[in-house]
Amino acid sequence: MAINVLVVDDSAVMRAMIIKALHLCGLPLGEIHQAANGKDGLKVLDKNWIDLSLVDINMPVMGGVEMIDKVRENPDMADLAIIVVSTESSETRIEMLEKKKAGFVHKPFSPEVLRKLIIEKTGVTDEQVKGDAYQSNGFDF
Amino acid sequence: MQQVIGVAGMKISQSRDDILVTYALGSCLGIAIYDPVNCVGGLLHAMLPLSEIDPRKAEQNPYMFVDTGVPKLFHECYEAGAVRNRLVIKVAGGGAFYSDNDLFAIGKRNYIVLRKLFWKNGFMIAADDVGGSISRTMSLEIGTGRTLLRSAGREWEL
Repeated sequence: MAINVLVVDDSAVMRAMIIKALHLCGLPLGEIHQAANGKDGLKVLDKNWIDLSLVDINMPVMGGVEMIDKVRENPDMADLAIIVVSTESSETRIEMLEKKKAGFVHKPFSPEVLRKLIIEKTGVTDEQVKGDAYQSNGFDF
Repeated sequence: MQQVIGVAGMKISQSRDDILVTYALGSCLGIAIYDPVNCVGGLLHAMLPLSEIDPRKAEQNPYMFVDTGVPKLFHECYEAGAVRNRLVIKVAGGGAFYSDNDLFAIGKRNYIVLRKLFWKNGFMIAADDVGGSISRTMSLEIGTGRTLLRSAGREWEL
Protein backbone atom coordinates (compact mmCIF):
# COMPACT_ATOMS: atom_id res chain seq x y z
CA MET A 1 0.00 0.00 0.00
CA ALA A 2 1.46 3.37 -1.01
CA ILE A 3 0.72 6.40 1.13
CA ASN A 4 -0.40 9.61 -0.57
CA VAL A 5 0.87 12.66 1.29
CA LEU A 6 -0.01 16.35 1.39
CA VAL A 7 2.56 18.81 2.78
CA VAL A 8 1.13 22.22 3.72
CA ASP A 9 3.65 24.94 4.60
CA ASP A 10 4.14 28.48 3.32
CA SER A 11 7.90 27.94 3.10
CA ALA A 12 8.96 26.06 -0.04
CA VAL A 13 12.28 25.20 1.65
CA MET A 14 10.48 23.66 4.61
CA ARG A 15 8.20 21.67 2.28
CA ALA A 16 11.28 20.35 0.48
CA MET A 17 12.88 19.37 3.80
CA ILE A 18 9.75 17.58 4.98
CA ILE A 19 9.51 15.71 1.68
CA LYS A 20 13.16 14.68 1.90
CA ALA A 21 12.58 13.47 5.48
CA LEU A 22 9.57 11.47 4.24
CA HIS A 23 11.78 9.75 1.67
CA LEU A 24 14.39 9.01 4.35
CA CYS A 25 11.71 7.36 6.50
CA GLY A 26 11.52 4.51 3.98
CA LEU A 27 7.73 4.81 3.80
CA PRO A 28 5.96 3.31 0.80
CA LEU A 29 5.14 6.72 -0.70
CA GLY A 30 2.63 7.28 -3.48
CA GLU A 31 1.71 10.77 -4.66
CA ILE A 32 3.20 13.74 -2.84
CA HIS A 33 1.17 16.97 -3.03
CA GLN A 34 2.13 20.40 -1.76
CA ALA A 35 0.20 23.50 -0.73
CA ALA A 36 1.33 26.88 0.60
CA ASN A 37 -1.61 27.50 2.95
CA GLY A 38 -4.63 25.82 4.51
CA LYS A 39 -7.06 26.97 1.83
CA ASP A 40 -4.97 25.48 -0.99
CA GLY A 41 -4.46 22.39 1.16
CA LEU A 42 -8.22 21.87 1.41
CA LYS A 43 -8.52 22.17 -2.37
CA VAL A 44 -5.91 19.42 -2.80
CA LEU A 45 -7.76 17.25 -0.27
CA ASP A 46 -10.99 17.81 -2.14
CA LYS A 47 -9.57 16.59 -5.44
CA ASN A 48 -7.23 13.79 -4.35
CA TRP A 49 -7.17 10.80 -2.07
CA ILE A 50 -4.69 11.69 0.69
CA ASP A 51 -3.67 9.35 3.53
CA LEU A 52 -1.43 11.67 5.52
CA SER A 53 -1.06 15.43 5.77
CA LEU A 54 1.79 17.37 7.38
CA VAL A 55 0.62 20.86 8.25
CA ASP A 56 2.25 24.06 9.48
CA ILE A 57 0.34 26.31 11.94
CA ASN A 58 1.21 29.87 10.98
CA MET A 59 0.46 30.44 7.32
CA PRO A 60 -1.09 33.30 5.34
CA VAL A 61 -4.66 33.07 3.96
CA MET A 62 -5.60 30.10 6.16
CA GLY A 63 -3.57 28.72 9.07
CA GLY A 64 -3.14 25.07 10.04
CA VAL A 65 -5.63 25.02 12.93
CA GLU A 66 -8.47 26.35 10.77
CA MET A 67 -7.58 23.87 8.05
CA ILE A 68 -7.63 20.96 10.53
CA ASP A 69 -11.04 22.11 11.85
CA LYS A 70 -12.47 22.15 8.33
CA VAL A 71 -11.02 18.69 7.62
CA ARG A 72 -12.53 17.25 10.80
CA GLU A 73 -15.94 18.81 9.96
CA ASN A 74 -16.02 17.17 6.54
CA PRO A 75 -17.22 13.53 6.72
CA ASP A 76 -15.26 12.66 3.53
CA MET A 77 -11.91 13.53 5.06
CA ALA A 78 -12.55 13.60 8.83
CA ASP A 79 -10.35 10.55 9.45
CA LEU A 80 -7.28 11.95 7.68
CA ALA A 81 -4.03 11.34 9.58
CA ILE A 82 -2.59 14.78 10.36
CA ILE A 83 0.77 15.78 11.80
CA VAL A 84 1.45 19.40 12.65
CA VAL A 85 5.03 20.48 12.02
CA SER A 86 5.52 23.84 13.67
CA THR A 87 7.77 26.05 15.79
CA GLU A 88 4.83 26.73 18.09
CA SER A 89 5.01 24.26 20.90
CA SER A 90 3.14 25.53 23.96
CA GLU A 91 1.55 22.84 26.12
CA THR A 92 -1.90 24.32 25.49
CA ARG A 93 -1.37 24.28 21.73
CA ILE A 94 -0.22 20.64 21.74
CA GLU A 95 -3.17 19.60 23.94
CA MET A 96 -5.56 21.43 21.61
CA LEU A 97 -4.06 19.61 18.61
CA GLU A 98 -4.32 16.25 20.37
CA LYS A 99 -8.04 16.90 20.88
CA LYS A 100 -8.26 17.41 17.12
CA LYS A 101 -6.47 14.05 16.68
CA ALA A 102 -3.38 15.65 15.18
CA GLY A 103 0.19 14.68 16.07
CA PHE A 104 2.84 17.30 16.73
CA VAL A 105 6.46 17.63 15.63
CA HIS A 106 8.51 20.61 16.69
CA LYS A 107 10.58 22.50 14.10
CA PRO A 108 13.47 21.95 13.67
CA PHE A 109 12.73 18.23 13.62
CA SER A 110 14.90 15.17 13.18
CA PRO A 111 13.77 12.66 10.53
CA GLU A 112 13.77 9.95 13.23
CA VAL A 113 11.12 11.79 15.28
CA LEU A 114 8.98 12.38 12.20
CA ARG A 115 9.24 8.71 11.21
CA LYS A 116 8.11 7.53 14.65
CA LEU A 117 5.05 9.78 14.61
CA ILE A 118 4.11 8.86 11.03
CA ILE A 119 4.16 5.16 11.94
CA GLU A 120 2.00 5.95 14.97
CA LYS A 121 -0.52 8.07 13.04
CA THR A 122 -0.86 6.01 9.86
CA GLY A 123 -0.67 2.54 11.38
CA VAL A 124 1.95 1.57 8.80
CA THR A 125 3.96 -1.34 10.16
CA ASP A 126 7.74 -1.52 10.50
CA GLU A 127 7.78 -4.16 7.74
CA GLN A 128 6.04 -1.80 5.31
CA VAL A 129 8.38 1.02 6.28
CA LYS A 130 11.36 -0.90 4.95
CA GLY A 131 10.33 0.18 1.46
CA ASP A 132 12.64 1.22 -1.33
CA ALA A 133 15.78 2.99 -0.24
CA TYR A 134 15.90 6.70 -0.89
CA GLN A 135 18.08 7.39 -3.93
CA SER A 136 19.78 10.61 -4.92
CA ASN A 137 22.70 11.63 -7.10
CA GLY A 138 24.22 13.77 -4.36
CA PHE A 139 25.39 10.93 -2.10
CA ASP A 140 29.07 10.65 -1.10
CA PHE A 141 28.63 7.28 0.57
CA MET B 1 37.34 -12.55 19.13
CA GLN B 2 37.48 -9.07 20.57
CA GLN B 3 38.84 -6.42 18.19
CA VAL B 4 39.77 -3.19 19.88
CA ILE B 5 39.47 0.09 18.00
CA GLY B 6 41.70 2.86 19.32
CA VAL B 7 41.07 6.60 19.28
CA ALA B 8 40.87 7.78 15.65
CA GLY B 9 40.62 4.16 14.50
CA MET B 10 38.16 1.99 12.59
CA LYS B 11 37.62 -1.72 12.03
CA ILE B 12 35.33 -3.75 9.80
CA SER B 13 34.45 -7.39 10.36
CA GLN B 14 32.50 -10.18 8.68
CA SER B 15 33.41 -12.77 11.25
CA ARG B 16 30.41 -13.76 13.36
CA ASP B 17 32.60 -14.43 16.39
CA ASP B 18 34.03 -10.93 16.44
CA ILE B 19 33.11 -8.19 18.86
CA LEU B 20 34.32 -4.73 17.89
CA VAL B 21 35.01 -2.57 20.94
CA THR B 22 36.10 1.01 21.46
CA TYR B 23 36.86 2.54 24.86
CA ALA B 24 36.62 5.96 26.45
CA LEU B 25 34.25 7.79 24.13
CA GLY B 26 34.18 11.23 25.71
CA SER B 27 33.57 14.03 23.26
CA CYS B 28 34.60 11.57 20.51
CA LEU B 29 31.91 9.76 18.57
CA GLY B 30 31.51 6.01 18.21
CA ILE B 31 29.65 5.13 15.02
CA ALA B 32 28.58 1.52 14.52
CA ILE B 33 27.05 0.37 11.24
CA TYR B 34 25.74 -3.11 10.60
CA ASP B 35 24.15 -5.10 7.78
CA PRO B 36 22.01 -7.74 9.53
CA VAL B 37 21.62 -9.92 6.42
CA ASN B 38 25.27 -10.33 5.49
CA CYS B 39 26.48 -9.87 9.09
CA VAL B 40 28.99 -7.21 8.15
CA GLY B 41 29.71 -4.42 10.58
CA GLY B 42 32.11 -1.60 11.27
CA LEU B 43 32.94 0.64 14.18
CA LEU B 44 34.60 4.05 13.97
CA HIS B 45 36.04 6.13 16.83
CA ALA B 46 36.21 9.71 15.46
CA MET B 47 37.82 12.51 17.48
CA LEU B 48 37.07 15.80 15.77
CA PRO B 49 34.35 17.16 13.49
CA LEU B 50 36.04 18.62 10.42
CA SER B 51 39.22 17.70 8.58
CA GLU B 52 39.71 21.25 7.28
CA ILE B 53 41.64 22.14 10.44
CA ASP B 54 44.45 19.78 9.40
CA PRO B 55 44.08 18.25 5.92
CA ARG B 56 47.51 16.58 6.14
CA LYS B 57 46.55 14.69 9.26
CA ALA B 58 43.26 13.76 7.62
CA GLU B 59 45.15 12.30 4.70
CA GLN B 60 47.40 10.27 7.02
CA ASN B 61 44.46 9.13 9.16
CA PRO B 62 40.96 9.93 7.86
CA TYR B 63 39.39 8.23 10.90
CA MET B 64 40.45 11.11 13.11
CA PHE B 65 37.69 13.33 11.70
CA VAL B 66 33.96 12.76 11.38
CA ASP B 67 33.73 14.22 7.85
CA THR B 68 36.47 11.96 6.44
CA GLY B 69 36.11 8.91 8.71
CA VAL B 70 32.39 8.30 8.24
CA PRO B 71 32.44 8.05 4.40
CA LYS B 72 35.43 5.70 4.66
CA LEU B 73 33.64 3.54 7.24
CA PHE B 74 30.68 3.15 4.88
CA HIS B 75 32.78 2.51 1.76
CA GLU B 76 34.85 -0.16 3.49
CA CYS B 77 31.70 -1.83 4.78
CA TYR B 78 30.30 -1.87 1.21
CA GLU B 79 33.54 -3.47 0.01
CA ALA B 80 33.14 -6.13 2.71
CA GLY B 81 29.65 -6.95 1.42
CA ALA B 82 27.32 -4.64 3.32
CA VAL B 83 24.31 -3.31 1.41
CA ARG B 84 23.50 0.39 1.75
CA ASN B 85 19.75 0.25 2.40
CA ARG B 86 20.11 -2.47 5.03
CA LEU B 87 22.59 -0.66 7.24
CA VAL B 88 21.58 -0.11 10.86
CA ILE B 89 23.38 2.91 12.30
CA LYS B 90 24.02 3.52 16.00
CA VAL B 91 25.90 6.41 17.54
CA ALA B 92 27.36 7.06 21.00
CA GLY B 93 29.61 9.63 22.70
CA GLY B 94 29.70 13.32 21.85
CA GLY B 95 29.83 14.29 25.52
CA ALA B 96 30.72 17.62 27.11
CA PHE B 97 33.14 17.50 30.01
CA TYR B 98 34.26 20.95 31.06
CA SER B 99 31.16 23.04 31.48
CA ASP B 100 27.99 23.91 29.68
CA ASN B 101 29.86 26.82 28.15
CA ASP B 102 32.60 24.57 26.80
CA LEU B 103 34.36 26.93 24.40
CA PHE B 104 35.04 24.35 21.72
CA ALA B 105 31.99 22.13 22.29
CA ILE B 106 33.75 19.34 20.41
CA GLY B 107 31.23 16.66 21.36
CA LYS B 108 28.28 18.70 20.20
CA ARG B 109 30.01 19.74 16.97
CA ASN B 110 31.00 16.14 16.26
CA TYR B 111 27.36 15.14 16.47
CA ILE B 112 26.11 18.09 14.38
CA VAL B 113 28.59 17.33 11.59
CA LEU B 114 27.56 13.67 11.70
CA ARG B 115 23.85 14.54 11.47
CA LYS B 116 24.52 16.83 8.51
CA LEU B 117 26.46 14.08 6.74
CA PHE B 118 23.66 11.60 7.31
CA TRP B 119 20.98 14.08 6.19
CA LYS B 120 22.89 14.85 3.00
CA ASN B 121 23.45 11.17 2.27
CA GLY B 122 20.00 9.97 3.18
CA PHE B 123 20.66 7.95 6.33
CA MET B 124 18.73 7.78 9.56
CA ILE B 125 20.13 6.86 12.95
CA ALA B 126 18.43 3.79 14.44
CA ALA B 127 19.55 4.58 17.99
CA ASP B 128 21.89 6.98 19.73
CA ASP B 129 23.16 7.81 23.18
CA VAL B 130 25.00 11.11 23.01
CA GLY B 131 25.86 14.10 25.17
CA GLY B 132 26.12 14.33 28.93
CA SER B 133 29.37 14.01 30.82
CA ILE B 134 29.94 10.27 30.87
CA SER B 135 32.69 8.29 29.22
CA ARG B 136 31.27 5.41 27.20
CA THR B 137 32.62 2.10 25.97
CA MET B 138 30.83 0.91 22.82
CA SER B 139 30.82 -2.59 21.38
CA LEU B 140 29.26 -4.18 18.29
CA GLU B 141 28.67 -7.94 18.09
CA ILE B 142 29.11 -9.01 14.48
CA GLY B 143 27.12 -12.24 14.89
CA THR B 144 24.00 -10.52 16.20
CA GLY B 145 24.36 -6.78 15.55
CA ARG B 146 23.84 -6.11 19.25
CA THR B 147 25.38 -2.78 20.24
CA LEU B 148 26.23 -2.41 23.92
CA LEU B 149 27.30 0.61 25.90
CA ARG B 150 29.16 0.56 29.22
CA SER B 151 29.86 3.41 31.59
CA ALA B 152 30.73 3.53 35.28
CA GLY B 153 29.93 -0.15 35.88
CA ARG B 154 26.59 0.01 34.05
CA GLU B 155 25.87 -1.77 30.78
CA TRP B 156 22.91 -1.22 28.44
CA GLU B 157 21.88 -2.05 24.89
CA LEU B 158 21.63 0.69 22.32
